[in-house]
Amino acid sequence: MRRKRAEIATDPVAFEAFYRRHVDALTRFLARRVDDPHTVADLVAEVFVAVLDSAHTYRAELGTEIAWLYGVARKTLSAERRRAYKQYQLTGRVSGRRTLDIDDIAELEQRIDAERRARQAFEAMAELPEGERAVLELVVIDQLTVTEAALALGIRQGAAKVRLHRARKKLQNLPFVMSGASE
Amino acid sequence: MKYEEQLLMELKAEITDRVERRRRLTHRLYAGGAAVLVAAAAAFAVPMLTGTERPAYAVTKNTDGTVRVEINEFKDADQLERDLAAAGIKADITYVPAGKQCKAGRGQTGGTALGGEPGSGASWMRDGGVEIDPRRIGADRTLVLEFAGDHQETAETKERPLLWRLTGSLIVGQVAPCTVIDDSSWEAGGGS
Repeated sequence: MRRKRAEIATDPVAFEAFYRRHVDALTRFLARRVDDPHTVADLVAEVFVAVLDSAHTYRAELGTEIAWLYGVARKTLSAERRRAYKQYQLTGRVSGRRTLDIDDIAELEQRIDAERRARQAFEAMAELPEGERAVLELVVIDQLTVTEAALALGIRQGAAKVRLHRARKKLQNLPFVMSGASE
Repeated sequence: MKYEEQLLMELKAEITDRVERRRRLTHRLYAGGAAVLVAAAAAFAVPMLTGTERPAYAVTKNTDGTVRVEINEFKDADQLERDLAAAGIKADITYVPAGKQCKAGRGQTGGTALGGEPGSGASWMRDGGVEIDPRRIGADRTLVLEFAGDHQETAETKERPLLWRLTGSLIVGQVAPCTVIDDSSWEAGGGS
């Protein structure tokens, strides 16, 4: 696991492989939560910088890379929301504002549009307590397994199951829980 | 998407930057270590981890019986000593500002405190942290670690020959408190 950490954060080739494996899923993860192309692009950059900063927290034996990455993304996103979209700066060379050309924006908007239903689902889930909503989000909308969701949130698998069960019970009359799962 | 490729390039450059920063610091440290070696100790500049929202340090036990310390901020030395004691390590930790050092002769030295390779002393640097083997310290000895400088690179620290330096010694019996004195090797050109 130490090796793994060293690789992602210190070896550009290993990082590139990691980046290419996950950049698409991460972009969609963020497009489900934010509807502005520039902010989505900035957040993708910020999450990957956070990956470099927190590569030491990744443990291969605990679960999948994507679950860990979504955990990092959730933390980045909540930090971003605390800043309330104020100006921020990234460290080092990775500049704060992505330069997007027309094609970039069009493609990002397409992805954001594709995730429209998921964003509607988020709105419907807004009433749930934070802990339950977080598990439901990751399982139903981001398609993680319960084990992976627990890893992403840093909670026990049992606790995740209980929260998911409660959330589903509260929402069982709402149709979006089923339809929100399909992309 | 074009911006994805651009971002990947920037991130890879950032990784290369970070690795280079660490390598440069480690080199300086070996270059500046000789004077301290005379005082029966070894000096190392330690590559620091960047980041702001982490605890000052973390102590973890490895499965092979060694203990790993990752230091993010030069503070809470007393608490670190207590945590190390709980992990079976008698240690004396001191943080002093850049340009300063503890006056040599804090006690009778015995054994290699700090080695360049894992297992070559009671402690060594690995992967941005210090690893300690409690079995290499000895019942009557204290592992004395003195950190000088700053934990994080800033515009100001870039002008200096060293970012930080770790001096280690094994002291038999009583350890005298640190008397802070000037350290000329911090002056530009003096230490590297």
